[in-house]
Amino acid sequence: MKIFFDLLVMALTSVNSLLKASWDSILEIYSMVYRLIIGLPELLLRFVSLNTKPLIQIIVIPGLAFILLFAVIVVWFERKFLARAMLRVGPYYCGGRSGILQLIADFLKLFFKEIVIPRDCHRALFLTMPVILPTIPALAVTLIPFGADWVLFRAGGLSLPMFFAIAGFSPLIPVFAGWAANNKYSVIGSFRAAFLYISAEIPLVICAASVAILAGGFDLVKIVEAQSTIWFAIPQFIGFIIFFLGLIIESERTPFDIPTAEVELVLGWRTEFSGVLFGFTMMAEYVSFLSWSLLFITLYLGGYNGPNILGVPLYSNIFWLLLKLSILVPIVILIRGVFPRLRMDQLLRLGWYYLTPLSLLNLFITLALKLLGVLS
Amino acid sequence: MTEAQVEPEIMRISWGPQHPMSGQTRILIDVDGEVVHRLIADLGFTHRGIEKILENRTFLQGIIPIERMSMVDTANMGLGYVLAVEEALGIEPPERANWIRSMICEICRINSHLYAFGLQAESTGYFPAVFLWTTVDREVLLDLMERLTGARWSYNFIIPGGVMNDLPEGFQDKVKEAVNYLRGRFEQYWEAMVENATFEMRCKGVGVLKREEAIRLGATGPVLRGSGVDMDVRKDEPYAAYGDLEFKVVTEAEGDAMARLKVRYHEIEESLNIIEQVAGDIPGGPVRVKVPLFPRPKPGEAMSRVETARGELGVHIFTDGGMNPYRVKINSPTLRNMYVFERMAELGRILVADVPVILYSIDPWYLDADR
Amino acid sequence: MQGADENSFVEALLKSYPELVEEARVLRPKRVSILARREKAVRLAEILRDEYGFIHPISAGAVDYPKDMRIQVIYYLTNPSQRFILTLRVNLPRNDPKLPSMTRVWSAMEFHEREVMEMFGVEFEGHPNPSRLLLPPNWRGGYPLRKDFKGEGVEV
Repeated sequence: MKIFFDLLVMALTSVNSLLKASWDSILEIYSMVYRLIIGLPELLLRFVSLNTKPLIQIIVIPGLAFILLFAVIVVWFERKFLARAMLRVGPYYCGGRSGILQLIADFLKLFFKEIVIPRDCHRALFLTMPVILPTIPALAVTLIPFGADWVLFRAGGLSLPMFFAIAGFSPLIPVFAGWAANNKYSVIGSFRAAFLYISAEIPLVICAASVAILAGGFDLVKIVEAQSTIWFAIPQFIGFIIFFLGLIIESERTPFDIPTAEVELVLGWRTEFSGVLFGFTMMAEYVSFLSWSLLFITLYLGGYNGPNILGVPLYSNIFWLLLKLSILVPIVILIRGVFPRLRMDQLLRLGWYYLTPLSLLNLFITLALKLLGVLS
Repeated sequence: MTEAQVEPEIMRISWGPQHPMSGQTRILIDVDGEVVHRLIADLGFTHRGIEKILENRTFLQGIIPIERMSMVDTANMGLGYVLAVEEALGIEPPERANWIRSMICEICRINSHLYAFGLQAESTGYFPAVFLWTTVDREVLLDLMERLTGARWSYNFIIPGGVMNDLPEGFQDKVKEAVNYLRGRFEQYWEAMVENATFEMRCKGVGVLKREEAIRLGATGPVLRGSGVDMDVRKDEPYAAYGDLEFKVVTEAEGDAMARLKVRYHEIEESLNIIEQVAGDIPGGPVRVKVPLFPRPKPGEAMSRVETARGELGVHIFTDGGMNPYRVKINSPTLRNMYVFERMAELGRILVADVPVILYSIDPWYLDADR
Repeated sequence: MQGADENSFVEALLKSYPELVEEARVLRPKRVSILARREKAVRLAEILRDEYGFIHPISAGAVDYPKDMRIQVIYYLTNPSQRFILTLRVNLPRNDPKLPSMTRVWSAMEFHEREVMEMFGVEFEGHPNPSRLLLPPNWRGGYPLRKDFKGEGVEV
């Protein structure tokens, strides 16, 4: 009987101490969580205040918001502008006479459309390639300096080769996407896309190298600073023209949009994509257009520097970059409305017979200028 | 034919009726990389059996199916049939009716050629600028025709014995206005197409058809005249008022897609001249001879030839004394030109991207090939 | 050899090759009709092409005469230098409508002979591509332009 009582007392004591210990640990855990929750906004605030600039750069400009806004506004502008060239009015009903809400309407429509997946396609590639497609040029945009101290990623002073390294991925994606779609038209389109990109890249790289030689470095900020006396468009006029053509080729716009929208290929490698995937491929065209245009302006048109008036540099700001962009974009759009499409062999002839030797000529001229010390 | 085996390296692309730029037909292209080995035109998608229908319609009712053989060029088609019926009945329309017929046919010719411009520009990937300009300019002509006949496309205005109605009040001034407007717009087409560097690159030297080949293969219309052969039914066998009107037959020597475009361009200019002449000098008089509602021509045959916008249309009517024709044989221009198109792959080296350019420089209209 | 107009052409032809034609006459200005013997049709076609210059083929068609038990095949040709239309006709018996194909003389007759084949049931021997031109691939049979066609070709 006594044994029972002893056991009971022992059990009760141990339960009591267990409860007390666990209550303590519960109290401890509770107080830790409490401190965390109280301190979280302060933590976030400290994080944001330490990293404001990169965060703004990622989210607003030159990051997500800028790219999306650019794509959306340029689509609207292109539709209205080209419509005027064709004696039409473009989007007219959504949002007043300007049709500005049409873009949002189209965007929403694409989101709600059914994504049709062909039967024997390679599902993984089919679903992921359109998503990767706009992110690659968007990555390249992060390298462009938008102001003297407003670069998202400096890449250790090697931003120019880094840009080409990232942009060098772009031929692969149409090839994968076209092959994954399991469609004769898409395969032909992806072959043509590969030809197109490759034949344009070499002259572009050589021209960019000439600019780097003239500026004395690979860093894009340094290249912009080296143009404070004179924009590189003038000593490198051949490269200027070649890069301008290459800009249109690399963003697959008419007159060079042979892989897609060829009259006999329905939409080339983009044929089978529908719904939001199609929206991604369309957006990719404009994002790559943005990235190459920004590089073009940085290399040849002085980047974020204002023009020099009588030797006094005007206030440099992101405003100048946007102004130059807004002059370049309508010109490229106008070219789309005026010229029909080139044939594939004509484009290859242009790229290999004309652009590549001319870019080499440009390189030699640059070397000569540098040796003679014309531009220090 | 369409299930034939192809060799392993050759891919057969089916440019089918559900395609942005093929029109109402299916073109099969045998491709090896970019070079085209063979072109097969699979016609018959719009076959309605018009020749059989006409055997069960009276002569006047037959005008309506005939006009369904084209949608932009209906007056010329109708005129072909009506000329054959008039020959079978042995009647001659009055002179004023002939002049009005010429004017309507030339308006349709301009209509059709403008449409062909737009399609040819669009086939090269020209973002539809030129096509939409031509749509705007054609509205002027369609308004004219609506004022005259009450319809924009299928007029049923040319009937055996003449035309249905006389010209309304003030029509001649409206015609002169339309002609001046079109003349002013014309420069733009030349600059936008012929002098456009990229367009020239796409069209020059593409789809060359030499003179002997064009004759031997039976080409017709601007395809034939673009290769230097000056055969035009309006001059060879003048019908309607073409014997009294002054115009030139336009030919170009090179025989490529650009030459055919230039032929159409200059033909529009000649048509504008003709319309102006008609509006200015049209003789007076009645516009119709009385023809019974159900005519019964004597047994025999009658064959007529008309120059439509796409080529020569022939209508051969066999009559047996009844109210319906015994047999109507229609010689369609597009069927002849599609044979030329099929042989293009053997005549020269063409690439896949040239196929739409060549097809639209031949300007096919499958409604009259299939009947 | 080549007459200055249709009458002299017809006279010259009748004088030189009377054994090949059954009948040759001028229907009206610019329309000539030649009825050839069935066995000599290709020979006559070659002579017309080589000697008389009818190198521009226009079309080919046929007419069904069930009362006379014949089908008449008509070839439309023209001469680029004289510009009148010549209709070369051949009468074929309705129960055995066979004719050597004229594609060996004028290759452009290929499409038109295909149409005559599917619409009338005429068999052209030696045709390079005897397949349907206008009728759909699931046509069940019957020759639409014959007079005794009752609309049986299409599945309903």
